[in-house]
Amino acid sequence: MPKCTIDGKEVEFKPGENLITVAKRAGVEIPVFCYHPGLSVVAQCRMCYVEIEKMPKLQTACSTNAAEGMVVKTQSDPVVKGRAGTMEFLLLNHPLDCPICDKAGECDLQDNSFGHGSANMRHTEERRTYVDVDMGPVIEKNMNRCIHCTRCIRFGEEVAGIHEMVAIQRGNNIDITTIDGNPLQTEYAGNYADICPTGSLTLRDFRFRKRAWMLKKTSTICEGCSKGCNMEIQHEGNVIYRCVPRENLEINKYWMCDEGRMNYHYTQDEKRILNPRSGATFIGWEDAIQTLKDQINEKPLTVLVGSDLTQQELENILEYTKNYHKGSSVYHFGTEGVFTSAQDLPVDKILKMKSKTSNLNGAEKLGIKSVQEMKSASDVVLVFAGGRANVQSVTKKLEGKKLIGIGVYSLNEAESFSMVLPSLSFTEKDGTIFNHQGIEQKLKRAIQPKNTIKAISEILMLTANKKVKVGAN
Amino acid sequence: MEKHLSEKFYLAMKKLEPRYPNKKALILPALHQAQEEYGWLPKEVLEEIGTYIGVHPAQIREVASFYTMYNLKPVGKNHLKICTNVACCLRGADELMNFAEKKLGIKCGETTSDGMFSLSEEECLGACTTAPAMMANDEYIEELDVNKLNHFIEKMKVLKI
Amino acid sequence: MRQNTLFEQHFWKDSNRSLDYYLQNMNGYQAAQKVLKEMNPDQVIEEVKKGNLRGRGGAGFPMGMKWGFIPKASEKPKYLVCNADESEPGTCKDRQIMRYTPHLLIEGLIIGSFAIGCKHSYIYIRGEYVNEAKLLNAAIEEAYEKGYLGKNILGSGFDLDITVHRGAGAYICGEETGLLNSLEGKRGEPRVKPPFPAVSGAFGCPTAVNNVESIANVPHLIRMGGDAFAQLGKIDKSGGTRLISLSGHVKKPGVYEIQAGSVTLRQIIEDIGGGIINDKKLKAVIPGGSSSPILTADEIDVVYDVEPLMKVGTMMGSAAIMVIHEDTDLVKLLLRITKFYAHESCGQCTPCREGCHWMESILHKILHGEAKPTDLDLLVDVAQNIGGKTLCALGDAAAGPVISFVKKFRPEFESYIKGQKRYA
Repeated sequence: MPKCTIDGKEVEFKPGENLITVAKRAGVEIPVFCYHPGLSVVAQCRMCYVEIEKMPKLQTACSTNAAEGMVVKTQSDPVVKGRAGTMEFLLLNHPLDCPICDKAGECDLQDNSFGHGSANMRHTEERRTYVDVDMGPVIEKNMNRCIHCTRCIRFGEEVAGIHEMVAIQRGNNIDITTIDGNPLQTEYAGNYADICPTGSLTLRDFRFRKRAWMLKKTSTICEGCSKGCNMEIQHEGNVIYRCVPRENLEINKYWMCDEGRMNYHYTQDEKRILNPRSGATFIGWEDAIQTLKDQINEKPLTVLVGSDLTQQELENILEYTKNYHKGSSVYHFGTEGVFTSAQDLPVDKILKMKSKTSNLNGAEKLGIKSVQEMKSASDVVLVFAGGRANVQSVTKKLEGKKLIGIGVYSLNEAESFSMVLPSLSFTEKDGTIFNHQGIEQKLKRAIQPKNTIKAISEILMLTANKKVKVGAN
Repeated sequence: MEKHLSEKFYLAMKKLEPRYPNKKALILPALHQAQEEYGWLPKEVLEEIGTYIGVHPAQIREVASFYTMYNLKPVGKNHLKICTNVACCLRGADELMNFAEKKLGIKCGETTSDGMFSLSEEECLGACTTAPAMMANDEYIEELDVNKLNHFIEKMKVLKI
Repeated sequence: MRQNTLFEQHFWKDSNRSLDYYLQNMNGYQAAQKVLKEMNPDQVIEEVKKGNLRGRGGAGFPMGMKWGFIPKASEKPKYLVCNADESEPGTCKDRQIMRYTPHLLIEGLIIGSFAIGCKHSYIYIRGEYVNEAKLLNAAIEEAYEKGYLGKNILGSGFDLDITVHRGAGAYICGEETGLLNSLEGKRGEPRVKPPFPAVSGAFGCPTAVNNVESIANVPHLIRMGGDAFAQLGKIDKSGGTRLISLSGHVKKPGVYEIQAGSVTLRQIIEDIGGGIINDKKLKAVIPGGSSSPILTADEIDVVYDVEPLMKVGTMMGSAAIMVIHEDTDLVKLLLRITKFYAHESCGQCTPCREGCHWMESILHKILHGEAKPTDLDLLVDVAQNIGGKTLCALGDAAAGPVISFVKKFRPEFESYIKGQKRYA
């Protein structure tokens, strides 16, 4: 492999790699604003200056590919002065309203200003200000904070496939915006907040709810569809505040859709059932398990499992029915019209898949048949679901049967059930899922289960036991 | 959608289409042609151009707002653009601007209440050796002085064009 | 009109722009005929290299070399784009060519297109040149009618179309990649290089962008041969003649033609321009468009060509000379220049977008007696933070005048700051 030298260190590189990438490998971080690995290179912010031997001017690392024998300095005097100059220019018109800005604590402008800027201000003129237009429900805009990196414009054009964020006017008067206060049309708008290097585009859903530095972060997988976008649940005090995408170049690159990003809300919704319920009344676990035992009593059963459950949960259910309800039939369900992975096609050219559950592929791997193949059902039907599977699509087929729900249900859904035993949502459990490509991924528990809800494995164990004795929970 | 642009516009565009490898390159010619018809570029017209080219209307606005010659607001029937750049400045452009402001009773950047005249400052017109110069609508008027400017404004007033 | 010039003798007479005039008095389309019938593309490029024809737009880059960069093996279409944006303040020579010798430009485009393998050439003309665009279109139509454009030109089997594309008011479209974006229907924002236009230019294809005067010189060069053309230049590396736009405080402003490197700046001002109006004293000269660093009255005994001007810390640029006499307020003039660059900054890169406007604000404060003594050094420091740091040359264009004005005329700025002088 060819080699170049960065700050005295020899580094190998693949032809076509830019200096930011190569430097990173050598442990040298070059500050950036406009550069984003998932977007085209524009070299506009002028922050990533480096000095290259035999070149008279400073070069931008983002737009310079490494070359054999290239000698690069990232800390020389001209570089330090160049970056300080850029920082000064960027802060001329920035309001420095960090104390009331949601981006504070995770803001590139803050970080780079601290690392490369000056504590003094030589600019005494009035700052440039804008009147902001509305941009719809997802993103809150504050143009005064904007540093014109154009990441948002490029994201719209190159990733979301819609040129709705634009630069109007030119020069010092540029306004980066949708036109006429039109709401953002893309279903991927949340990414605008992620890639904005300052607090110009922030997530309305997260607005003023938590300071960024207080959040704990758990790496997990989105359960919104079979894409399996890698994401991070950010939480504090057992409350989830937001979900953001994590880089995975094989699957979601750097992005996720708004539906997936906002999906976590139902797990914290007041309509979510968090205690066992029989009819319209909440009961204790001992009564609930006893009632369940009485009703299913080792008979062969029809068992429906959501393709939103993990491999471990599905295996437990299969094991349980095989051992305690011989002759039972198990079917998976999830999205209306998408019964097999062959039917699970992309919804758009970006990320979204038709299957609104995350583990259709995993259910098929375990040999579970689709609910479409169900010809008849037992009098009592067990319905296991993780919260994403479309429960109504199966309950309406089973009118007149006695339905018992085990899993994550809302009050509305519970109306079709004679009994509900609440279980863990994707934010509260570990487990394995297979995305539409067949890639195995791990869900990770971010927060502790609320109230008395129990894992499916525990519910099944209690049901299998001869004597019902539920420990304090 | 209601059409705002004329047959003539679409014919002109049809003629230009084969001269470019893609339709997007027609954005500037389309804006010129539309402005010729309307005198300025109302929102509906920009949207119609977007539909014709096949791009998001925001993209048309983004391009149009970059260039100073596209009027995104209405302008007077006679748009006087006086060059005040270096060569013209050395030859008395400031004096001409002051005169025009007084004569028309408006400030640079404004339009007279009867909609007859708009006055603006122009960056270098590329007529530096015949400075000072101005553009009156599409015409250059060069080697300008106060008398010539006065005469021109008077003529426009009389002709009411 | 001075006789025995390549261009100047044909200026200022409307009838000279016709095809008939061109054929009868300017050996019209004979060079194209020679190229298409007797030469191959490499020979054309070789001849242009021999002629030392360097770009007339500002950078002075050797034209033959630029054409040589176009990859022959590429399967993609290739484009020759003529830069008729003529946007550098002070410059108005290309306008003369388009007005009075449009066929020279068309013939140059035929030869250049043949040399690089282009089948469709674009002339990107600044939006304000409404009339010039009409004249060009009329000349192009004439050329189509007579078989100089279109299919099978002069029976050679070579095809070429030419389209005039109008800009719409943006200085930055004179920068070649800004121009290409504008041609493609985008904002005229310069592109990051590499890739250079020779590899990926107009519509993602190999492209050569050349100034009007550069291209219009090609028929002359081919007709007289590269060696003879090179000898017209009286200095190394610069062949042919140069059109200069002489403006400001001279008695006879105008577009004049000189043999490259044959005269000094003083000779141009005194002999060609007839000296300073009202016999005032010369104060300063902006020698190559408003972006070139200013020269004092003592610095004008310099040969007017690329390298000699570079040696004295300025540049020839587009050969636009603006002459300034003693009564001129240079603080006000610099504010005017800086305001122009702030107005024309495309806004994509940080130092230019923020810095040009800041420099304008500081200069405004100085002129209006609101500045502190430290503001003058601040101004120069801001200019230095812009110069050499931007994505395209506009940053340098804005910084150069500021640095040179303050360096050479510092007391004028200080007298405003000290309150000795007030803005009237």
